[in-house]
Amino acid sequence: MANDPIHQFQIHDLTDKFHIGGYEFSFTNSALFMGATVLTITGFLLLAARKAELVPGKTQSVGELWYEMVHNMVRQVLGPEGKKFFPLVFSLFSFVLVANMLGMFPYFFTVTSQVVVTATLAVFVIVLVVLVGIWKHGLSWFKKLFIPHGVPLVILPFISLIEIISFLSRPVSLGLRLFGNMLAGHIVLKVFAGFVVSLGALGLGGMLGAIAPMFMAVALTALEFLVAFLQAFVFAILTCVYLNDALHPGH
Amino acid sequence: MAQPRKSKGQTAQDDPAGMGDLTERLKDLSGRIEAEKAEYAESRKLPESSMGDASGYAKGYRLVSEFVAGTLVGGLIGYGLDHLFGTMPILFIVFLLLGFGAGILNMARAANREPPAQDRSGTNPPPPAALDDEEED
Repeated sequence: MANDPIHQFQIHDLTDKFHIGGYEFSFTNSALFMGATVLTITGFLLLAARKAELVPGKTQSVGELWYEMVHNMVRQVLGPEGKKFFPLVFSLFSFVLVANMLGMFPYFFTVTSQVVVTATLAVFVIVLVVLVGIWKHGLSWFKKLFIPHGVPLVILPFISLIEIISFLSRPVSLGLRLFGNMLAGHIVLKVFAGFVVSLGALGLGGMLGAIAPMFMAVALTALEFLVAFLQAFVFAILTCVYLNDALHPGH
Repeated sequence: MAQPRKSKGQTAQDDPAGMGDLTERLKDLSGRIEAEKAEYAESRKLPESSMGDASGYAKGYRLVSEFVAGTLVGGLIGYGLDHLFGTMPILFIVFLLLGFGAGILNMARAANREPPAQDRSGTNPPPPAALDDEEED
């Protein structure tokens, strides 16, 4: 039970079920950690901006670094007119990053290891991209996106079909990547840590044998921290890239 | 500090030797400047290269997932259409191959994605217009 690598992803109710408009709701551990994520972000950024000094202290430096990284990313990918998407990208990046990082604590629940959460984020981004594209370019946005210039008429249906599949695969790749990375990372970590425990229980020989998986678990922990940051970064930068397609269609 | 003063004294004593000493000092100085420059460049480059390492790792993950997602979505569309029309394996196979193509296309695009363009002033960039003309010819 304790060594079951999947057990950490189970969702269970923390309160009694309640009904709103005929639907059943309950407050789960997933919801708790989503709330914790939002509270952590808000709390930290408020703390960082509490007294803005010309020479920033430690907390303020981290806050500024955080802000400037996302700001530079938005400016580089989207250009000056992408400025109005900065709050969105910053929120997405912060949510994913802090949810990933909170998941690295032992006994904590990893929100982003649930495909429901990552798929919702991904679908939200893609729906927004479609809406922005239609808002900026009208329905001809689809034409620009799915009918590339300079393609001979003979293979045009074929190319358009591939372009449509390519577009539809975006939310899938966006959501699956984050989900897959977090799920796989946590399972592997748990499996190696489980080796240490079960080998260590076997006596002296087992303890000697447990040294290798122990080092592996330590190395994997470091790798997971890297992945936690990188996946948040990739999610944010891909949001920018897709929004850029909405603002400037035509590859 | 001792070195320059000594060479200055030599310059005063005899001219040709002094000239040689001067060029030598010049060479020494430019050599030291080069070394300093190289060291400076190295120190500037280091954090960037480690960052590039990390983003290379991210890029690898990206490419794989783009490819998998393309194939998956293609296969799912084919499967759904087959289910709808009752032509079980045919459309599934066709769309799986199309999805494979889309995955490759996505991957190529993700790999070739250019670094941010410098000028974003015009809403209608010239290259598409040029291509449009070409198409009409």
